[in-house]
Amino acid sequence: MNSAAPVVVVDLGFGDAGKGTVVDWLCARGPEPVHAVVRFNGGAQAAHNVVTPDGRHHTFAQFGSGTFTPGVRTHLSRFMLVDPLALAAEAGHLRALGVGDALDRLTADRDALLTTPYHRAANRARERARGADRHGSCGMGIGETAAYALAHDDAPRVGDCLSPARLRRRLTAVRDRYLEEFPAATAGEAVPPVEDCVAAFTAFAERVRVVPGDHLHRLLRTGRVVFEGAQGVLLDEWHGFHPYTTWSTTTFANAETLLREAGDAGGPAVRLGVLRAYATRHGPGPFVTEDPALTADLPDPHNGTGPWQGSFRVGHLDAVALRYALEVAGGADALAVTHLDVARARGDLKVCVAYDGMERLPVHEGGDLEGRAALARRLLTARPVYAPLGADPVPVIEDMLGVPVALRSYGPTAADKRAARAARCDRTRPSPARCANGD
Amino acid sequence: MGSGTWSTDVYDAARSYRASTGASAFAYSDGGATTAHPDLDPHGVVLRESRDSDDHPESLAIAVLFDVTGSMRTVPRTLQAKLPDLLGLLLRKGYVEHPHIMFGAVGDATCDRAPLQVGQFEADNRMDDDLGKILLEGGGGGQMTESYELAMYFMARHTAIDCLEKRGRKGYLFMIGDELAYPAVKRREIAKVIGGEPRGDVPIEELVRELQRKYEVYFIIPEGAYHARSRKLADFWRGLLGQHVLFLDDLDAVCETIALTIGLSEEAIDLDEGLEHLDEFGSGAGPSVSRALAPLDASRSSLAVSAGPPDLGSGPSATTRL
Repeated sequence: MNSAAPVVVVDLGFGDAGKGTVVDWLCARGPEPVHAVVRFNGGAQAAHNVVTPDGRHHTFAQFGSGTFTPGVRTHLSRFMLVDPLALAAEAGHLRALGVGDALDRLTADRDALLTTPYHRAANRARERARGADRHGSCGMGIGETAAYALAHDDAPRVGDCLSPARLRRRLTAVRDRYLEEFPAATAGEAVPPVEDCVAAFTAFAERVRVVPGDHLHRLLRTGRVVFEGAQGVLLDEWHGFHPYTTWSTTTFANAETLLREAGDAGGPAVRLGVLRAYATRHGPGPFVTEDPALTADLPDPHNGTGPWQGSFRVGHLDAVALRYALEVAGGADALAVTHLDVARARGDLKVCVAYDGMERLPVHEGGDLEGRAALARRLLTARPVYAPLGADPVPVIEDMLGVPVALRSYGPTAADKRAARAARCDRTRPSPARCANGD
Repeated sequence: MGSGTWSTDVYDAARSYRASTGASAFAYSDGGATTAHPDLDPHGVVLRESRDSDDHPESLAIAVLFDVTGSMRTVPRTLQAKLPDLLGLLLRKGYVEHPHIMFGAVGDATCDRAPLQVGQFEADNRMDDDLGKILLEGGGGGQMTESYELAMYFMARHTAIDCLEKRGRKGYLFMIGDELAYPAVKRREIAKVIGGEPRGDVPIEELVRELQRKYEVYFIIPEGAYHARSRKLADFWRGLLGQHVLFLDDLDAVCETIALTIGLSEEAIDLDEGLEHLDEFGSGAGPSVSRALAPLDASRSSLAVSAGPPDLGSGPSATTRL
């Protein structure tokens, strides 16, 4: 591999596999210094937990999970839904942890959509109206932001924060739309006046560098860039199990588009898929390998039952779903497996090798949501066929998925991670030494 | 995944953005500073060290010192914005595996408030912090002479570099400027700016010889500077450094120029390969770099390595190096 090749990190499950901790490791202890972390999907609903060896904990939502490493920049690409209000609070927490310059290291693409309080209120009102049929939304307005932009050409974007008059016009339109659809009497969620939003959003643009799309090209030319995905492939808007999905492309696709536009500066990217040694799902939807005993045994320190998202569920590793995720994502070059300490401590984890009568999930192209919904219905009643996983799942995972494991994680901090195969330095030339791949 | 951990209160956000003032790349200088930042003040510094570590077992010391006085016009500010890219360029194609980079600035010991500013040798982005702390003084004495000799004295006698001590490989020192040095480094100024009790003045020729035992020393003259086209300037530095005087017509290409100079000197590449790499990265710096380095390349063509670095990025491999 080109030693400074960009790395694209995605979650091969339903999210929560540990992308943040993998990105943190790449930045803190990876084989190459990381110049910048780029977000390429989702928005402020991401919750990537990073714990430093000295015990500081931060839930990264919009800042890249490499921010604890001095100097590592964050770039919010145009595929990111930027929430300036949540960003301010997140920067405040980072400051409290001793990272005082997070905003100085941040750039935002002027074309990125803005999530506003009006999107958020609409999101919650809609989810409330669904009652028991919730889709597992985070209540942050992500879906509303994406849906509004599809229907309205004048959806507010980061660049508008530099033009108060235009920003005011566009925010007013979003607010009016919300009040029209959910009159205060029924929705019951008060929203701030447009003028107050304008004040906060313009303050954001004065404080954060707003950049054109080619900024990313320069980052790629300068040093190693890590693309940090949000959510998980099995929640993808087109490939996930409709309607329990997110309004976001969660595969490698957006990152690949950005790399292509940059003329593949930095060379071919390493596509890194992240998974736990077992499976989790936060919120409702199909989860074939769910196991109430594991849910009881393995509560997640950072994921409780949220008011919008529902409960945190745990189950066994699912090779069928993982193979499907790899297939729809176009494959991966390497895997990072987290929570191996749990597998080692328990020794009784299993792996689902097939569903009763189904070894492979059908892949649909071209946004056939009806087909995905039919698949989701089948999965709600599918029964897993298990094999033992053992205390060291890595060889089993490599064998089942046909992708090498490049990083093993045994705990929350960068110090708990091991690069699976140390690169061997090939000293055929006196200088400079070049590293080749390990065996 | 998650559920929106962070508050989205519109009033808190507005307050918070207003309260946290931005630090530009030139935060220190723009903040009205008038003296060297304590982190960069050489006074009382015994040694700036470039040491091997587990993460960087074969470190290579690289120092970049630039003139921040008035005749350089906008050059220092451009350098402050551009130099953060240097680390990535060096690592990108393996010209250097473990660079330790130090940034610093040169003024005029006879009249400036910060005649010398020196950061630390850093292996990661922390070097950018040092860059941001450099005071862009804009002073200088107006007599076409700056205290480069004081900077060279510091590099020769107040740095310790493992690449030399453990492996016998010289580090690299790049000075970027548009003036002459004083003919000798004065005992009085050493005592005032750096401290210690030197035995006497050190003539510049002697100092350069001493420095060259430790570092490959280069002087880069940027076109945009006031004295750039002066014959006297070129002759002065060529007299001291021979081929190692580079003329750069596009300051935006400064990192590429430094990176390729090191790549050539380390015999990792020849000029054509280096220019190909720049193309590959989509850098437009090629022509300027090519012009700046042509004399250097001609002088070492007999040494140039023709075999390109093995491409480790193509094709599927059994393992992926992250």
